Amino acid sequence: MKLQVPLLITFLAGVFMAVQFFVPHELGQTAFGELLNWGRIVAAFALVLGIQSLLRTHVEKIRRRRRDWPYSTVAIASFVMMVVIGIGFGSDRGSGFDWVFTHVQVPLDATMFSLLAFFIASAAFRTFRARSTEATLLLVAAVVVMLGRVPGSLIVVFGHSGAGEWLHTNMPDVSEWIMNFPSVAGKRGIIFGVALGSIATALRIMLGIERSHLGGGSGGGGDE
Amino acid sequence: MNTLRLQAIGLCMLLAASVCVAQTGVAPAGMPSGVQAEDDPEEPRGTQAIVTWQAPEEPMPLPGLVAVGQRVIFRRVDGGEWQLGPLVPLDATSTPVGDLKPWPWPKWEIAVSVEYGPGGALGEMAREAGWPAGVDPILPSATVGPVRPVGAWYKSEYTNILALAVLICLIVIATIYAIRGRAEQVYIRPIAGLEAVNDAIGRATEMGKPIVYVSGLSGIGDISTIASMLILGHLSRRSAAYETEILVPCNDPLVMATEREIVRQAYTEAGKPDAYSPDNIFFVTDSQFGYVAAVDGIMVREKPAAAFYMGYFYAEALILAETGNQTGAIQIAGTDADTQLPFFITACDYTLMGEELYAASAYLSRQPLLVAQLRGQDIAKSIIAAVMVAGVLAATYAAIVTGAAADVARAFVEWFAA
Repeated sequence: MKLQVPLLITFLAGVFMAVQFFVPHELGQTAFGELLNWGRIVAAFALVLGIQSLLRTHVEKIRRRRRDWPYSTVAIASFVMMVVIGIGFGSDRGSGFDWVFTHVQVPLDATMFSLLAFFIASAAFRTFRARSTEATLLLVAAVVVMLGRVPGSLIVVFGHSGAGEWLHTNMPDVSEWIMNFPSVAGKRGIIFGVALGSIATALRIMLGIERSHLGGGSGGGGDE
Repeated sequence: MNTLRLQAIGLCMLLAASVCVAQTGVAPAGMPSGVQAEDDPEEPRGTQAIVTWQAPEEPMPLPGLVAVGQRVIFRRVDGGEWQLGPLVPLDATSTPVGDLKPWPWPKWEIAVSVEYGPGGALGEMAREAGWPAGVDPILPSATVGPVRPVGAWYKSEYTNILALAVLICLIVIATIYAIRGRAEQVYIRPIAGLEAVNDAIGRATEMGKPIVYVSGLSGIGDISTIASMLILGHLSRRSAAYETEILVPCNDPLVMATEREIVRQAYTEAGKPDAYSPDNIFFVTDSQFGYVAAVDGIMVREKPAAAFYMGYFYAEALILAETGNQTGAIQIAGTDADTQLPFFITACDYTLMGEELYAASAYLSRQPLLVAQLRGQDIAKSIIAAVMVAGVLAATYAAIVTGAAADVARAFVEWFAA
């Protein structure tokens, strides 16, 4: 019973979601919206679990003086500060909450995001070493695309010579061709596989073939 | 002062005319007449009707007031307040009216009225300032009703999607039931990333260091997150057997709750329920880069022996994978985010590309039903590939040849392209 009821709910919800995709009627759309609202409500309750987990993890770390515990005090202090400012003084534009969000969280997010530039450089350095035929092809394609997408770069490299002018005129087209044909073909192959994999995974969850997400092991027998 | 008095008289006349209409049901001269309403065939939700009427040649003059447009109003036949529909120009004779909610199947009464506003310079200023143009009460014309828009119950333009989805589902189900008894004979292409899972767990066990498992940044409603959680189940069963610590930082509380249950069950099935620690599956934050900062910090401090990135990722993919690379962890990634795959391929030791993420559960468990389903998926893929080749040939044929056969080929291509 503990397993059958969730399986039945999963099956019914899965069938409903699949059917409503083909039903444009307001009734179907309203029911779909209602189901999404239920999801949001459940997610709101789950947030309590998340907060409890966050506090418990860090409080335990401080209490037991585990390694790097001072970081946990910063995490808890930041959490409490935002809750107090947000609930106590509101979160409208111009409020203290908004100020902290704009002047602390946004720059911190931007800092993490900007690390990407350096990581791309280090990853590219490792990848673009022509150690094999495939790596060489990748390197050549990457160089062509980069040169084709930076206006005037070829003029800078080759000057206004015949070759420079010819490359300046034609390289963007070659770059576009690489992006529009080989690249898109590869992506579409992946997308087809993903679509089929999604359908098959949804099907085996709806039919109860896969049950490990319910904490009941898989339907097909024991794990190896 | 004079203007205000005139406006008051106008309003009184409007009220009197309104009472007169309510009693006789006939629109007075200078008001819209001949109101008709029918379902809007272009609107499939069943909430919209097309209302047509005859506009008055000259709106009924009212002292101190000017006609600013025609207002469509509607209410439920079984008694309800008039609701405002669209305001259209004085010469308009037709407009769609939405918000006629079909549940619980009410019938509607629809009317069209001339809407008045204050006249003179004051009214002009108010209208230019964007203040409400109309004044109450609104004088209804002869009404039409009961009417009820009819919605569509099927999107006919999705027939090709439905046909292919049903075909794929039937193939998968038929294959499951056809070969589940001999699923162990089914050949599964070796997937290096999944073969390396045991090595990664073994490495972590030997080094006495934890495994970090990241299940993407999508919510629990995303199929790739579900696939990721299935992999986590298999992974935790094996790590539980070796009592290797597994850390699962989460960015979604629902995912965290589900993953706790999955890992707890895995430890129980492995016969090590006491080794399960719910604190190892913990919520960090739902902020994208806050989460990345936290996971990077964990990896730099804990120096895990292995890191798994399974699920859907955005811009954080490379930041996570490069940090893991720098800490020396063996890294296995799997995602269906085609834009992030190159980053994982670059920075990780093994990468599951697209559908391999979904196949991982069957691959790791080798359970008959799951393996059979994998075979069904492959058959469906072959059929789709065949249809694509047929489409290319048909499109080429239709482009270079004319006649009935070319028309059939073109129809074949257009049916899929619709």
